[in-house]
Amino acid sequence: MLALEREPEGGGWTPLSLGPRLARVTENDAERQLLPLLLGSVDKLRVQLDSASIDRAGKIPADVLDTARRMGLFALTIGEEHGGLGLPLKAATAVIDQVARSDRSVAVMLGLHAGLGTRGLVQYGSSAQQSRWLPRLASGELVAAFAATEAGAGSDLMAVQTCGRGVAGGLRISGQKCYVTNGGFAGLYTLLVRTPGLGGERAQSLVCIERGAAGLHVGREEDKLGIRGSSTVTLELDEVFVPSEDVLGAGGSGSAQCAHVLAWGRTLMSAGCLGIANAAFQATLSHVATRRQFGRTLARMPVVQLDCADMAARLYAMESLVRWAADAEAEPVRLEALSTLAKVLCSESAFAICDRAIQLHGALGFLEPTGLPRLLRDCRITRIFEGANDVLLVRIGAAALASPRSELTGLRCADLRGTLADVARVCAALVTEREATLSLVRQRDGLSVMRKQALLWTLGQAEVKVHAAIACLARATAESSRSSLQVAEHAIVSLAADASAQLQVARDARGAAALARAQAICDDLIADTPAFRSSAGSGAHTQDSST
Amino acid sequence: MNRQPDNRTRIIAVMAEILEIEPSTIHGAQRLREDLGMDSLGSLELLSVMSQELDLELEMEHALNITTVDEACAFVSRHYAQQHRAASAGA
Ligand SMILES: Cc1cc2nc3c(=O)[nH]c(=O)nc-3n(C[C@H](O)[C@H](O)[C@H](O)COP(=O)(O)OP(=O)(O)OC[C@H]3O[C@@H](n4cnc5c(N)ncnc54)[C@H](O)[C@@H]3O)c2cc1C
Repeated sequence: MLALEREPEGGGWTPLSLGPRLARVTENDAERQLLPLLLGSVDKLRVQLDSASIDRAGKIPADVLDTARRMGLFALTIGEEHGGLGLPLKAATAVIDQVARSDRSVAVMLGLHAGLGTRGLVQYGSSAQQSRWLPRLASGELVAAFAATEAGAGSDLMAVQTCGRGVAGGLRISGQKCYVTNGGFAGLYTLLVRTPGLGGERAQSLVCIERGAAGLHVGREEDKLGIRGSSTVTLELDEVFVPSEDVLGAGGSGSAQCAHVLAWGRTLMSAGCLGIANAAFQATLSHVATRRQFGRTLARMPVVQLDCADMAARLYAMESLVRWAADAEAEPVRLEALSTLAKVLCSESAFAICDRAIQLHGALGFLEPTGLPRLLRDCRITRIFEGANDVLLVRIGAAALASPRSELTGLRCADLRGTLADVARVCAALVTEREATLSLVRQRDGLSVMRKQALLWTLGQAEVKVHAAIACLARATAESSRSSLQVAEHAIVSLAADASAQLQVARDARGAAALARAQAICDDLIADTPAFRSSAGSGAHTQDSST
Repeated sequence: MNRQPDNRTRIIAVMAEILEIEPSTIHGAQRLREDLGMDSLGSLELLSVMSQELDLELEMEHALNITTVDEACAFVSRHYAQQHRAASAGA
């Protein structure tokens, strides 16, 4: 039974199609046969993983890499014709989730390989490029890396300076890339570079460069807060020659290609967040079930129960949104939007769950041997990489205002009974409130809203929660167990309350005074910092008019 | 600087200022995404900043369909002409 209905273009109502999409993707033969085997293999890999020592050593041991290769974990989403497993994105998320339950560094390595690392080649590569590299990437002989970020171009990838100058037969590339995951041992790098010769002044392209290319220097490993086993390095490019045939797809399409590649990366990364959050949650359940204080177990205390229910609800919402995103694999524009929502929800929720897990463990949670501090450290980066969440929230808010139609346009409540009827009504009211708010803001602020960063951020927060609530409802309609339905209800009710509060803020344009005060406070504080005073002459800090 | 956007060169100058590139490198047929590195939201942001710089009210609805520099210039000029006419009629 489906909870919501959608108004089709031609009028009349049809069932919301989250369910059927799910069915279509799971019909992939490769997935049906392989996924259970793969998940079984991952269980065996978990026995071999000593996450504490990976964390201490700052390196994934060679035998773990070998096992992962033998198990086909580098082959997940590469087509069978190139020696891969040809799994759909959704199945790959299940594998990464499973790996992340034991070790996030290994999950990041594999997730990056399947997502950012190989996606460009799979989606845009010529058949010559694919036959040259994909078989070796599928076997794990080559590990893939993706390098977009530079010292001066993090959230703002338009500012990329690494530049490919047109020369006979190809490009000469010079510049520097930083924070390249898998970079220390990768065999193939996909780079985002400026290519003014292939399009306009600011045109960008994706190019493939093999390890060992003349002029490519791999820097030393960074010392990090978390995912310490994951390799993170700087790349220096000194006049590296890249033949024209190593440019991916149409030259000059790099920024659009990057958006697609990032959509895969964000979905897989969200799956990793699920794994880590699940590990923290399971550890918490075991602890509160047995730890006694004041003559009873922690699990019998209402405040602890609220915490546990909240963690379960967060996990339910994370899973539901990741599934929804992964099911949109065949529709790149939807995948782009949904993966961004999933990335923000999953990274924020995983961190909140790990934090709560430590709290409920008390002093024990603060001690490294419980593994909880590592989980917290490992998941901190997910709120920053593949798009810092604040930046993504602003974009999500802007996209909601800019798109005349969205996933949620025209949804309304279907005929449901029991608990689901109540939460379906909550969702339907929320969708209506969302549409009314967007239309009010569009009319009130016009195009100037694109400069109102705080308002866009607030709308972005609401968007994440509204979509998560709808994803929970769509999933709950297929759920039969009473406990799952209770968790779904808890998730939907709290997501809807949060989203509604954010929408209210956007409608009232409340907070204008607080924003003005924040700007004044920040300006005064910045003016007092020695770093500002010494850089004032160089114009490093410039005022802008966004609020 | 005279901000009146009735002249294409001025619109391009503002665009170049925002994009931090030389005005001479911007040409009418260039695509905002492929050639100037902006996605659809980036181009809305650009138009929004231009409207502020040029003191214009722009609507979001039509702005969404703009893909080239020429289209952006025509969009801004059209709004300017309309608003200019309305302002003179009101005066
Ligand atoms: C361990 C690790 C692995 C990584 N792996 C890769 C990789 O494999 N490939 C790759 O290309 N990159 C990689 N990165 C880089 C990562 O994607 C960037 O760090 C990230 O995109 C943020 O860029 P930045 O660090 O320059 O932060 P900045 O852009 O300087 O932003 C810092 C903070 O400022 C705020 N902020 C910035 N802009 C805005 C805005 N417009 N609105 C509101 N707030 C804003 C946000 O809070 C943001 O977190 C990795 C980084 C790390 C640490």
